[in-house]
Amino acid sequence: MFSLLYRMVRDRALAEDLAQETFIKVLNGIKSYKPEFKFSSWIFKIANNAAIDHLRRKSIDTLSLDGAPNAETPDQMRATSLQLGDRAESPLDEVESRELGTAIERAIARLRPEYRSCILLRHVEGYSYEEIAETLDLPLGTVKTYIHRARNELRGYLDDRRE
Amino acid sequence: MTDISMHLNTEEIELWAQGLLPAARAMHLADCSLCRVEAERERKVILELVQLPKFAPNPGFADRVMAQVKIPTASGGWEQH
Repeated sequence: MFSLLYRMVRDRALAEDLAQETFIKVLNGIKSYKPEFKFSSWIFKIANNAAIDHLRRKSIDTLSLDGAPNAETPDQMRATSLQLGDRAESPLDEVESRELGTAIERAIARLRPEYRSCILLRHVEGYSYEEIAETLDLPLGTVKTYIHRARNELRGYLDDRRE
Repeated sequence: MTDISMHLNTEEIELWAQGLLPAARAMHLADCSLCRVEAERERKVILELVQLPKFAPNPGFADRVMAQVKIPTASGGWEQH
């Protein structure tokens, strides 16, 4: 669950805060847990909602390296892009850059949050398509579409890097 | 049952990339150049994704969480850890 949060927000300290928020919600709200729902799916649902809420609140809903989704001109894209390495690097920054600095991690960061959740649940957590649909409250067909599109986008980003 | 002549779907391409595609569907893949091209394109990214590491929070995380959890007491109140 921490891996999902960390890759969603790309900030270790923030991911820990969100994980803590998630566990406290789970432990304090255990009475509202419905046994017909897989327990780990319930935790992932709460964690994913926390990450999505955070991204929406901060208006960085794609954490895009190319700028905000509504940026239309090159200047707007530059002004709203995530500038890697434009601040003094702390030891924590170095850890994050080592952990999330590979091409595939950077490509994942460029996906829309809903694509990112699906692809991480599928390939990192090993969830089935049905479990992802249940966890994210999405129709099964939507999950399949998101995963297909996410992989296409990842392929595109990775191909760009190689060219 | 899946028609052997049908193209591989997203899940089947994943299975193939991981060496788990059932033989009947592998036969289709062997005969279908469209599916082979698509599957080859997908294989590399799928393999990169399934090899991603899992991360853990820093030491002391569990203690910090438990410090904020309220446990119900026998008297109907809440105990803070």
